[in-house]
Amino acid sequence: MTASRLGWGLLVALICFALLAPLGDPLGPFRQSLTKALSGAEAAAPFGYDHLGRSMFSRLAHALRLSLLLAFAATATAAAIGIAFGALASWRAGWIDRALSLLADSMLALPALLMVLMMGVILSSTPLAFWAGLAAVQWIEFFRLTRSAARSHLASPAAVAATLQGFGPIWIFRRILWPEIGPMLRTTIAFGVANSIAAIAALGFVSVGMRAPTPELGLMMVELLPSWREAPFALLQPVLACFTLLLALNLIAGARK
Amino acid sequence: MTLLIATDITVNAGADCLVDPVSITLPMGQAVTVLGESGSGKSLLAQAILGTLPKGLVASGQLRVGLDAFDPSQPQGNRALWGRRIAVLPQEPWLALDPLMRGLEQVAEVHDLVAADTNPQARARSDLATLGLEHAERRFPWQLSGGMAQRLAFAAARAGGAAITVADEPTKGLDADRRDAVLALLRHGLQAGGLLTITHDLALAAGLGGEILVMQGGTVVERGPAAQILGAPEHPYTRVLIASDPGRWPRRAPAPKGPALLEAKGLTVARAGVPLFRPVDFSLSRGQILGVSGPSGCGKSSLGDALLGLMPHQGSLLRGPEVPKLGFQKLWQDPPAAFPARITLGTGLNDLILRHAIDRSRIAPLLNRLKLSADLLDRLPSAVSGGELQRIALLRALLLDPVLLFADEPTSRLDPVTQKETIALMTAIAAEHEMAIVIVSHDTSLLHASSDRVITLTPA
Amino acid sequence: MNTVLRALSFRLIQAGGVALVVGVMSFLMMQAMPGDMAYRIAAARYGYDLVSADLADAVRAELRLEAGPFAQFLRWMGDLAQLDMGRSLVSGQPVWQEIAHQLGASLQLAAAAMGLSMLIGPPLGIFAGLHPGGWFDRVLLVVAAGFRAVPQFLLGLVLIVVLAVQLRLLPAAGHGSLAHFVLPALTLALGLAAASARIARDAMAAVAASPHYAFARAKGLTEAQILRRHGLRNIAAPLVTYLGLQFVMLAEGVVVVETIFGWPGIGHALIHAVFHRDVPMVQGTALVMGLGFVLLNAVVDLIVRHIDPREVQA
Repeated sequence: MTASRLGWGLLVALICFALLAPLGDPLGPFRQSLTKALSGAEAAAPFGYDHLGRSMFSRLAHALRLSLLLAFAATATAAAIGIAFGALASWRAGWIDRALSLLADSMLALPALLMVLMMGVILSSTPLAFWAGLAAVQWIEFFRLTRSAARSHLASPAAVAATLQGFGPIWIFRRILWPEIGPMLRTTIAFGVANSIAAIAALGFVSVGMRAPTPELGLMMVELLPSWREAPFALLQPVLACFTLLLALNLIAGARK
Repeated sequence: MTLLIATDITVNAGADCLVDPVSITLPMGQAVTVLGESGSGKSLLAQAILGTLPKGLVASGQLRVGLDAFDPSQPQGNRALWGRRIAVLPQEPWLALDPLMRGLEQVAEVHDLVAADTNPQARARSDLATLGLEHAERRFPWQLSGGMAQRLAFAAARAGGAAITVADEPTKGLDADRRDAVLALLRHGLQAGGLLTITHDLALAAGLGGEILVMQGGTVVERGPAAQILGAPEHPYTRVLIASDPGRWPRRAPAPKGPALLEAKGLTVARAGVPLFRPVDFSLSRGQILGVSGPSGCGKSSLGDALLGLMPHQGSLLRGPEVPKLGFQKLWQDPPAAFPARITLGTGLNDLILRHAIDRSRIAPLLNRLKLSADLLDRLPSAVSGGELQRIALLRALLLDPVLLFADEPTSRLDPVTQKETIALMTAIAAEHEMAIVIVSHDTSLLHASSDRVITLTPA
Repeated sequence: MNTVLRALSFRLIQAGGVALVVGVMSFLMMQAMPGDMAYRIAAARYGYDLVSADLADAVRAELRLEAGPFAQFLRWMGDLAQLDMGRSLVSGQPVWQEIAHQLGASLQLAAAAMGLSMLIGPPLGIFAGLHPGGWFDRVLLVVAAGFRAVPQFLLGLVLIVVLAVQLRLLPAAGHGSLAHFVLPALTLALGLAAASARIARDAMAAVAASPHYAFARAKGLTEAQILRRHGLRNIAAPLVTYLGLQFVMLAEGVVVVETIFGWPGIGHALIHAVFHRDVPMVQGTALVMGLGFVLLNAVVDLIVRHIDPREVQA
């Protein structure tokens, strides 16, 4: 319980930083002043400057905004699609169930990064590709979760009893199914967001994700890596931000069975 | 010769005393049976002697096995007894056998590693042959019937050469035939040792003979020779316990014939096109109770589901003309499974009241009639005992004014005294509400005592 | 025997599904590329150096490109069904040849990482699972959760900075000597080990709490005998099943780690192909990864079936 609370605390702090920091920021993430390259903190740029003399404070906040927004959007889309398909498959059974399961099993075999990369070639906009690719991978987990929970609980005596007592499918969903899958969904959503953030940063880091000069955590790391000896703190910032964010989400997700 | 002497064994959880001092002497060739309901402390007593108490519980007293002394408060030392001096029969043999090891090996490994016999395979083979298990040598436990698994577990438990056998609820959930087989197995073990049995099963206790200890609330309330305890019980609780045996229940007075409800002719239920049981004929009118018996897996539950309209049937089944829409209700074998697990019982009842515009004031008298306390409704199903939950299920059904209640093994998970109370309540309510009951049980004496008529299903 | 056939036929259908998904995605990638379709397809078939306007026209006529995208799609899937992957748009070499060239390096890396993670993860997990709730279990839980919170690229970055740049113990990138193996294999293995330790721990704790484990104690066996004869066998099935599923994580890790450490495998090739919009190569590597998953899991099915012959209820 305390671990999960710590996770929420960290996540809220990071979200607040991402949302609020740009409001009082005089420089913005793109303004370069090469004379200040890799120099330390000052009032206008509390976290110092990167190799092109851009404010790390501003770039970090915008990078977090981007990662959080994309990750939440992708996971929310995946959850909506996955739960809807899962409910449909267990309700309708038959060939719809088989077709959806086959689709899920087929996509399960493909790594998430690969799906995002292929979407990146298809779609011209990189954020759109991340959103579509991550959602295309993550819906599977929600689908399987909903489908198996629905299958075991819709055949349970409690559901049969509800039918005999004149309750409809909505009551059964609300009172029997949802309380069962709700806690599992929280875990799955937290992991989904964490995986999305890691994927965005990983692809940025290997130069096939967001493109410069967009502020993005992985891209910032690879840009600042050559300057590690001169300005270790500059590289540490996106590394720590990324790690803290993922740690927070993992703590929220908790131990999954 | 005395095999085991346990003196003043107690079990404590912190300051709470769960088992008051009990002493047991187990002679060669004799059975000692501890009789009681769940919560009576009878299993804790056995665990204290074996050294298998759950964490947080501490035993005290003295224990002698043969000539050696053991300290029940230091359970690590008792491990030397397991398999070598005391054989422990598992409660559910099917689960106790390693699912990935073949039958012969499960016994042979004990001969090899525990008893250090020469040629363990041959010893194991002869053990199995003695119990008629030649076919089980190469099979995995999940390929065995329940009875075969029981015998295999018996052979494995005793292969270490222990003279003392401890059996904790060996007949839990078994029907009469299987129970007799277990009794024969335990008596077989008595020939070469002593037997300590923990049970709530009066028939088993009677069959084993020897000494009986009756436990209630952690205290032995009465002890003596089996014939005396079962024949002339003195303590009031022993009398209640013995009277709860369905074989001793008073027979129900036949119900007056009310308006006809169901008329079945040549009725059966098919799975994948194959009928499960031979077609049956019966008729049922309001207020009557019909008992259904038959071997496990013959389709008793499916018959009920067909009556409720949850499953298609074959043959003719006519319903009476004035059956209301929600007039057929059901009670389940496993009460917690019949309630939504994550909402309180009160929330579920409230939803039912709102859904069907039921008069809320009906609940209080029903709670009273079913001997339920109102604060139970604030709890989750998992926080309520099985007997209470089954009565709440009955209350939930009664709110809908059913004309037929299908009760599928409604008391098989309950203790005998609770079982007797629950069935008595159900039959009384059937009369008060002019409700018919179809009751399924593996216990034929229960059915004969509580039903107007009993039909037996035979596999097709 | 019946269940083996059923499992294998499921894997066969799954392989078909994988090929279909990859094929559709690749076709869409091809459609999304700028420029003349016929020219790109000709290049994919014969290599950029050999393409001429005549060849492009021949392709246009042969494929009836004017017939619309649906007919084109059928042709594309037809080629795929014949396992004709075409040529790389960059090197002009046949895709199969390119992949065969790079697969060895990837398999070496993957096997080294898998082997290393097996030496670390399951033994720690089993030890923790035998004493659930103990201090070692709690420490392992925190450490494993920490490692799972660190994505592979970040772990690789930290290892490079600490071991290669600061301490100069190992080369940061390259391929050829044993020293080059250490960093990429370790980067992959630590994440995999954290995950498999967790699975082994849960499986061991469940088995150690099972009635048959308690009965083995009651039979008089020692803890070591019980672990060897009843414990390991019973946790093997869930562990092996999990390893099969972990292949996706491994493949994903290979893509990232090869790119970071300059390891000349198919992950490296995939990133290059994406960078240069080399659709036939992307399709080829995607297919190899997807079908590799299916193949490995078919093998896992057979192994699990051998360890645990119980009929699995569908």
